[in-house]
Amino acid sequence: MADSPATTTDDRLVARSVETPELRTETSDIAPVTTDGKTVVFGCEKVTVHYGRARALEDVSLNIYRNEITALIGPSGCGKSTFLRCLNRMNDLIPGASVDGLVSFHGEDMYAPEVDPVDARRRIGMVFQKPNPFPKSIRENLAFGMKVNGIKPTGERIEKVLREAVLWDEVKDKLDDDAFALSGGQQQRLCIARAIAVEPEVILMDEPCSALDPISTLAIEELMRTLRERYTIVIVTHNMQQAARVSDRTAFFTVKVSEAGRYGVLAEYDGTQQIFQAPKDQRTLDYITGRFG
Amino acid sequence: MTTTALPRADEATPRPLATKHRRPADTLFHAAVLGSVVIALGFLAWLFISILIEGAGTLSTDFLTQKASQRNPSIAGFTNALRGSLVLMMITAFVAIPLGFAAAIYLEKFAPLSRDALVGVARRRERSLRVRLERGEISGVRLALARLWVRIGYGWARIGPPINTAVEVNISNLAAVPSIIYGVLGLALFVSIAGLSKSLLAGGLTLAVLVLPIIIIASREAVRAVPSSIEQGAVALGATRWQAVRKQVLPAALPGMMTGAILAMSRAIGEAAPLIVVGGITFGTAIPSLNPVNAGDQPLFAMPLQIFNWATQTREEFHQLAAAGILVLIGTLVLLNLTAILIRNRFTRRW
Repeated sequence: MADSPATTTDDRLVARSVETPELRTETSDIAPVTTDGKTVVFGCEKVTVHYGRARALEDVSLNIYRNEITALIGPSGCGKSTFLRCLNRMNDLIPGASVDGLVSFHGEDMYAPEVDPVDARRRIGMVFQKPNPFPKSIRENLAFGMKVNGIKPTGERIEKVLREAVLWDEVKDKLDDDAFALSGGQQQRLCIARAIAVEPEVILMDEPCSALDPISTLAIEELMRTLRERYTIVIVTHNMQQAARVSDRTAFFTVKVSEAGRYGVLAEYDGTQQIFQAPKDQRTLDYITGRFG
Repeated sequence: MTTTALPRADEATPRPLATKHRRPADTLFHAAVLGSVVIALGFLAWLFISILIEGAGTLSTDFLTQKASQRNPSIAGFTNALRGSLVLMMITAFVAIPLGFAAAIYLEKFAPLSRDALVGVARRRERSLRVRLERGEISGVRLALARLWVRIGYGWARIGPPINTAVEVNISNLAAVPSIIYGVLGLALFVSIAGLSKSLLAGGLTLAVLVLPIIIIASREAVRAVPSSIEQGAVALGATRWQAVRKQVLPAALPGMMTGAILAMSRAIGEAAPLIVVGGITFGTAIPSLNPVNAGDQPLFAMPLQIFNWATQTREEFHQLAAAGILVLIGTLVLLNLTAILIRNRFTRRW
């Protein structure tokens, strides 16, 4: 279904929730709906990533569910960011990166040769570790994504996404000012607004608060909780308290050392409460109790 | 035996601050670097002042508008040379800037150069083939070709990187090749093979080839200076690579690229050697047309050639004309470099 520029986000969401995702059993055995009625957005099976000849991530299998916040935690070099970048094919941009295994989006193989990665990225937005606004005005920052996706950047729409990102009151009088003049926290919220502006279904966040002060971090966490109502969020974080505070489900990644080198593996994936209160894996327990990492 | 307690820190008398003393090594170094600057600038100032004294009297609007003359120095002017240089610059800029910018963008943003990048390309080909095979979409000749394509990918990943490195190193080397060599190349390529005659067009194209590596190197620097996070941010919003580069990376890199291009032009405008090789030491009395489209019929002539011509004459009056010509050339160069500096200072961003 192509979105006409006139449809609002709300209409789209209603329309989508009525639709049943197309099942492609020949490419995927993962059922898009689980027994407890949750919709699977991403189904990953034995996802392995190489950068050139070096292995970065091995055999990650997990499902990510709709309208949930899924946190990816683990020590540095455990491949959590690498995994996140598989979910919107951002690894395509890294020369030499290659992804094996199956990543399905609503039951469809995202890496099938005929899939257009540009469309996938449009539907799966991303916010980066360091705020990366374009060196242009606030308005142009929001308009760029809209324009490349055929959405008209009207003042009304710009106001709407800035309100959604809880930034409107701070910037409403300086929409044509350089985005670089904003504080770090404001820049990051602008980047979130920019991602929302193209009306994605999923927002991937790669350590969105690691460059921010505690107050900005709090603002972004608040924002994530509101966004969960309408979007599916996957967040990579170094901060375990943050994962415990905001996420519904947590995946703990760890580093494995073998003759193939040092690379990341998934140690445990469960409800956030379960992970933080009664982890089943010894490595998870060691990590969350601070005995390692 | 009584134990003497150590004085407490606040009881001990602090040592007074040391007095200043000479540091001969520092002084010597300071004198050496200052001396170097004075010597370098001193020669330049001497050169400039002596030319100013000799040429200032001759420099006038008449000098700029009068035709060239080899017989009568009192009516000889710089028009032919000025117009020739202007047309040359138009041709050079028109050819070298787009080519140089495009090459820089390709090399920085799209070319898979490293071994890892090439292995990645081959892996992606292989994966795509595997999926098609599993689905039974491919067979017969097409399958054989696709398999070959994968093998070529892996083969190139093995032998390609050193070739790419050699090409990259040679682009840098080309910028250091003496300009007279480019003259020989231009003579062979544009005059003999392409049959452009010893025209402004042949000269302009030769200068374009000469400055191309300079533009490519400077533009690559400028493109590289834009953080990859900008491009990634654009791509993550659903832009294509090309949209991301054109709408976000390129505007951010453009001031740097323009600076490089202008500096390359200022290099080209002062070149005499390649033009002498391409066109010989001609002396035109016809005033060149300013329309670059006609450049193929216009005899090759430029400011450095006119200066060279006058400077080799025996009569003193011609030497004064040469000095005046040098002043005009220096003025143009200063103007170009000033523009480049202004662009750099005005638009450069700290990331």
